[in-house]
This record gives sequence, structure tokens and C-alpha cells, in this order.
Amino acid sequence: MKGIIKGLGVTFKSMTKKNVTYAYPDVPIEMPDRFRGIQYFEPDKCIVCNQCVRICPTECITLTGKPNPDPEKKGKVIDTYDINFEICILCDLCTEVCPTEAIVMTNNFELSTYSRDDLFKNKEWLYANNTKIRKENNAATPKGGAK
Amino acid sequence: MGDLLKESLTWGHFLIFVLAAVVMLLIVLGFVTYTILFERKVLGWMQLRPGPNRVGPWGMLQTVADVLKLLIKEDTIPQKADRPLFILAPVLVFVPSFAVIATLPFSKSLYNADLNVGLLYYAALSSISTIGVVLGGWASNNKYALLGGMRSAAQMISYEIPLVISVVGVIMMSGSLNLRTIVDGQLGGIWHWNFLPQIIGFVVFVIAAVSELNRTPFDLAEAESELVAGYFVEYSGFRWAFFMLAEYVYMFAMSTLITVLFLGGWDAPLPFLNFIPGLVWFALKFLLVVFFLIWLRGTMPRIRIDQLMGLGWKVLLPLALVNILVTAAYLGIING
Repeated sequence: MKGIIKGLGVTFKSMTKKNVTYAYPDVPIEMPDRFRGIQYFEPDKCIVCNQCVRICPTECITLTGKPNPDPEKKGKVIDTYDINFEICILCDLCTEVCPTEAIVMTNNFELSTYSRDDLFKNKEWLYANNTKIRKENNAATPKGGAK
Repeated sequence: MGDLLKESLTWGHFLIFVLAAVVMLLIVLGFVTYTILFERKVLGWMQLRPGPNRVGPWGMLQTVADVLKLLIKEDTIPQKADRPLFILAPVLVFVPSFAVIATLPFSKSLYNADLNVGLLYYAALSSISTIGVVLGGWASNNKYALLGGMRSAAQMISYEIPLVISVVGVIMMSGSLNLRTIVDGQLGGIWHWNFLPQIIGFVVFVIAAVSELNRTPFDLAEAESELVAGYFVEYSGFRWAFFMLAEYVYMFAMSTLITVLFLGGWDAPLPFLNFIPGLVWFALKFLLVVFFLIWLRGTMPRIRIDQLMGLGWKVLLPLALVNILVTAAYLGIING
């Protein structure tokens, strides 16, 4: 009997408490820094070293390079760069391995579409994904913050 | 309305009765629509979330949208079901729930029928719904539906008894089964209301009423987590809607009955507040009872079937009988 009255008191009081829910689709959720979101790709930084393709556990990255248009410079520049978000697991390995930080994570995460074809993102799309870019990208910094 | 019923039936009178019934039905439907919204809102607030807020301003059209969805859903009847009984069951559940409203008074002048056996009429008709529930469970030809129906029948019959016996004290005090006379006996302020001298009867009645309404903590008949949905598991579309409608119409009727029997009906709590119309006082007390029912649902878990039967037969029934005895002894001493 006492328990019932106590319980009624608890529920009555919680009626005026602040809600714990988010107004998510109306108000976007700010993800914390270090969140592993959709990659941002900057073609000018890329040296076509192919490390991201090799490390990718799901083999979702494909890239092709072409000779540098400036004949006096050596090396290659990027031609196509595609990530297949059907199978990308956003594991962060490609951005960790990238020596020039041409590919970095962002805090964006909304990928849902009506067609699977839309999930195949090319270089231009990844370059346009330039909002909320993650600040802390250097893999050389000690893990778990400053010691 | 009461005088018209005493005259001989003409076409004109018949038309008035039909119109009154239709208006009453619309009022009840409006009540049901917004009770469901209110219930979901209150439960939401109790669980630290806003509740329905997408359809219409403040979620006002949520129930309308839900009902619309139910009405345009396919009406499925299982192949092995007992077809006539399957169709009859929701009707048999809903009709008594609406018919009991005929006897309930809402204010001094606003009532449908002035029955001198009003309380008996309510008890008798509301038990017909139990048959509809069992019928629905049986006709579905589904073991879960049958289990739910049997549970529900056992529960409703067990709690019908303390429900009726607990109001005998009220009947003895007012000397009438007429609900208007019962309210007239309570006029003159909060200390005249029946819930004070009949506190045992009041508590027993409220518990039995929650059980009769099949609401948490006594919602074993539906028990969505145990029996899928109890007796109406095979129902869909508007037949299912009728079961739900009957449930909420009973909530309307039972809240009115609690207000009338124990909370003084349309009487103001203090005599100097009499300038506020009786209907307002009635509505306030009525809403308080409805809120209490929802509040209870937001608080308590479902009890077990053995606890249910134990509570009904070993606690509520003896308490109700003791209440009659005490009331009788008191009245005997007072009246010499």
C-alpha cells in the first residue's frame, strides 16, 4: 500500500520533469569530435599512394590516378576516387593511414536513401561534403588524449 | 427528457430520443478521442517524453488519424473462425457500454433517463459485455484469444461481485437505486459526499472498477506482453476499433458512476461555490477520476492471475461485506 502511494508520487512528480528525448529530425544532433562520420576527401592533397585502398577492410574504396598534368613535376594526381557506402563501415582506418590527410572524417552521418545506387559516392561528392570536418585527425597524437 | 419518457410514444418523441442518442454518441466519441490523446500525453510525460505531437497542433489529430487508419484497414475474418459469432462479438461488447450511459445523470437537469433501478441497470448491462468478450475469444478459433477470453471472463465475473456489493452501503444510506436520488442525498458540501462515510466501499469500488475496465494493473485479459492481445488478437480494422471504443466508453461510464456514487455528482465542494454551475463541478470531478485511472496505469505493473483472484475473493469481497455490516449497524443505531 505504501509502495503504491510512493510510486504514484514518483510518476506524478516526473510529469513536470524535463523530457529526455531529442527533437531529432527537426533539430540535428551535434556529434562529439572524434565521431566517425562520412569522409571528406580533398583531391589536391592526395598523392595516389593507394594506402587507403589496401587497408580498407571491406574494400569499399576504389581509386585511379593519372600522370601529373604539369610535366615538370613527378608523381601522379588523383583521377577518380569512389567510396561505396553500401559496405563502408566507417572504421576510420583509411583516414588514419593517409599520410597527407587527404581523406578525413566528418561529423555528418545521414546516409539513408531510397536507392542503393545513391550510396556510391564519387570524388566530387566527397569533396563537397566539407561541413563539420573532424579537427583531430593526426594519428600520431597519443591515443586517449594528452598524457 | 424525463417527462417526455413518461408520455406515450409518438413519432415526434421518437425523433427527439433518436437525436438525443446521436448527440450523446457524438459526445462520447469526442470524449474517447481526446481521452486516448490525454492518456498518451500523460503517460508520455510520466516517462519523460513529450507524447504524440506530430499530427495536428499538439498532436490533437493523432487519434483521428489512428481511427482513420483502422477504418481503411482490411477487415480480416479467419477462415476457421465462427463467422456469425465473430461478427456479433464486437457489437455485443459495444452496445451495452453505450446503453448504460442512458441512466447516468450529469447535472440536476441534464440526464437521459430517470430510472429508479439505475444502478441495477448499469450492473446488469455491463455484465453482458463479458459475454461478448468470451464470444470474441471463442469465435476467433485461436488459443491465445480463447485464453484471453477465459481470463477476462473469470476476472470480470470475480470483480463484478465486490463492485456491486461495495455500493450496497451507498444504496442503504440514500435508500434508493436511482442515481439522481443518490446524488440528491449528498448535496451540501464535501463532508456530505459518500466517499467519506463509505471510505471502505469507495476504495473497494475503485479497485473493482479498474479491474472491470480491464486497465493496468488488472489488464490481464489483454496482457500485450503475454497473450499477444488477449481476446481480440484475431480482430482487425473497425471490429478491433469497436473493442477499443467499448473499453473507453466504459471508462467514461465508470468515471461518471464513481463521480455520481461517491464524489457528490454535480455538488460543489463548499456551499458558497454553488454559483458555479453543477455541470462544471461534475466535469472537474469526472476528469479527476479519468486522470487517476491514467495515473494508475503509468505507475503500476500488471499483477499475476493468482494475485488477481486472491485480491478479488479474499480481500475485496470480505471488505465489501464488512462495509455493508458496518453501514447497517450504524444506520440501525442512528434510526433506533
